[in-house]
Amino acid sequence: MAEQVAKLEVRWRLSRHAYRLLTLGLAAAFIATIARRPEFAGVAAPALLLLAAGRGTRPAAVTVHTQASTGRAFEGELVALDARAEGTGDLLIRWTLHPGKGLDPAGSASADGARVRLLVRPEHWGRRQLGTLDLVLRDRWRLTEGHVSIALPRIDCYPHPAEQQTQVVLSKLPNRLGEHKARTWGDGTEFAGIRQYVPGDRQRSINWPASTRQGRLQVNMFTAERSQDVVLLADATSDVGEPGFSALDLALRGAAAAARAYLASRDRVGVITYQWGGATWLAPGLGKRQLYKIIDTMLASDAGWAQGSSFQRLPRAALPPGSLVIVFSPLLDQRFVETLRDMRERGFTLLVIDVLNAEPPTRQRIVDRLARRIWKMEQEAIRFSLRELGIPVVRWDGVGSLDLPLAPYTRRPLLQSGTRR
Amino acid sequence: MSRQVSATQPGPDDTTATWAGLGRAALASPTMYSTVAAILLGVACTVWAEVPGPRGDGAAFVLFLAIVCLVGSALRLALAGVPMPEDMFLLPTGLQLWLNFLRYIRLPPWEEGAVITILWLEVFHSSRPWHTALLGAALIAYLMAVHLAESGARPAALRPQVPVLALGACLLALGAGIAMLPAVTPSAGSTLLRTVAALAVVAAAGLVLPYITTRRL
Repeated sequence: MAEQVAKLEVRWRLSRHAYRLLTLGLAAAFIATIARRPEFAGVAAPALLLLAAGRGTRPAAVTVHTQASTGRAFEGELVALDARAEGTGDLLIRWTLHPGKGLDPAGSASADGARVRLLVRPEHWGRRQLGTLDLVLRDRWRLTEGHVSIALPRIDCYPHPAEQQTQVVLSKLPNRLGEHKARTWGDGTEFAGIRQYVPGDRQRSINWPASTRQGRLQVNMFTAERSQDVVLLADATSDVGEPGFSALDLALRGAAAAARAYLASRDRVGVITYQWGGATWLAPGLGKRQLYKIIDTMLASDAGWAQGSSFQRLPRAALPPGSLVIVFSPLLDQRFVETLRDMRERGFTLLVIDVLNAEPPTRQRIVDRLARRIWKMEQEAIRFSLRELGIPVVRWDGVGSLDLPLAPYTRRPLLQSGTRR
Repeated sequence: MSRQVSATQPGPDDTTATWAGLGRAALASPTMYSTVAAILLGVACTVWAEVPGPRGDGAAFVLFLAIVCLVGSALRLALAGVPMPEDMFLLPTGLQLWLNFLRYIRLPPWEEGAVITILWLEVFHSSRPWHTALLGAALIAYLMAVHLAESGARPAALRPQVPVLALGACLLALGAGIAMLPAVTPSAGSTLLRTVAALAVVAAAGLVLPYITTRRL
């Protein structure tokens, strides 16, 4: 992150230490005069002498350099803040960091010296101000204090991705080079079988042991290796549950994990953040930078209300036909459930990861218990109806790996709508 | 995505180790020693000003005020490291009460009150110059310890003040010596004259000192 340089005015004032010395000196002198006791004049002497001696140069302004080690950090990652002051002369310098919301100081929040390094740790994802840095200048007599306050830059705190190693692969992959085994033959590295040699086959693919056994030339066949388009659909409508493990937290962490896993296997990954009928989207793309673009898109949608275009009018680039749509949602918004049904009817292959991590509170009243039971039945009905439509729904608690709930779908290709079994 | 930053990572969630770590951190903190020193010096000053027992009316009340100020000062210094949240909305009532207590304990000038009441306690006794001089030295030490405790500075930070404090100690002794001089006449004017003389010496030293400090210290 670029260094931030600011020349700031210093607000000077007497320190509390000076006020205390003044109190002692004046009180003792007053008592000496009133009570006519010279020994109290002696008591006043050290304090008054210290106050009299304390004169020095006090700069009107100082130049402060601040630089954060990064502008982007994952939850729990350390961010270092380097600060340096110029034009302070021989003044004593003390820095105190007041971290912004969602940031926790790692170690001491205060440090002495003209050049310091302070550490903060983001606790929760989001776009956050690093906070403010207070600079206190003290003269060598510690009687005056100069105060300077510096507003620190903003950092993007990314959700800590969950663990995911395996991928769900579609049964029908587009004709694009990738790393997933397709059902067709091609120029991959995975052995698929042998067939009889026909003129034009490469000589190096002849399987000599099989040819010897059968008396005719046989050649090896390999599976094609293709990539797929994956669209991550994060439902930001409902954020329920314990802070830090709410539905939205789990959705973003899961989406980040899925993006990382699919991008690692050379798939094109995009994201759509659904929010009250609106959507913020990023077209599928390749590469490591796409991961940060995806997370940035998800963070940008955390504005609290609908932004971007309407979900019903998303362009083809945002939702390519034949793509695998992985949905992270607590399935609490009926409109979103209807949207999933609509997408399924339009032929998209969906996989829903249920991130609902909370239930209504348990109370003793029979009406409350009845309401809770009806709510649970409604939730089960929603999930059942989606399964009936051919949309798998798996539950993820946000603690374990995503591979576990996805295991039934990662062992074999996920059948697309209209594909024969 | 970011440069690696070296720092001590928190260990496993072991309660015993955590408490042991907190204890070590508290002992290693220079503020802790300064705070204890400030509290002990405050108590010593009060006891020193109080012995051999109060004289006159109102001494008990002044002693009570001094104790209140010392307790307030001790609490303020001991709880200075407790952070305050930016807002107190939606916090439990107990926590809000605690935070309000912390906020209000930091407002009053407890140390100034303690200094005035301790000096006032000393006035209740008849003249005893060396006793008062020692009290003055202890009060200066008390204020220095309070400053170290609240600023987090190490005692070495007070090194530049040592020559001035030495000069102050000389004037302290001089004041006590003036008070011990036998009065020329039994009238009140004699004691007033000696007091004015002592104050004049202090004032003269205070006027001369800045020129010396700017050149030598």
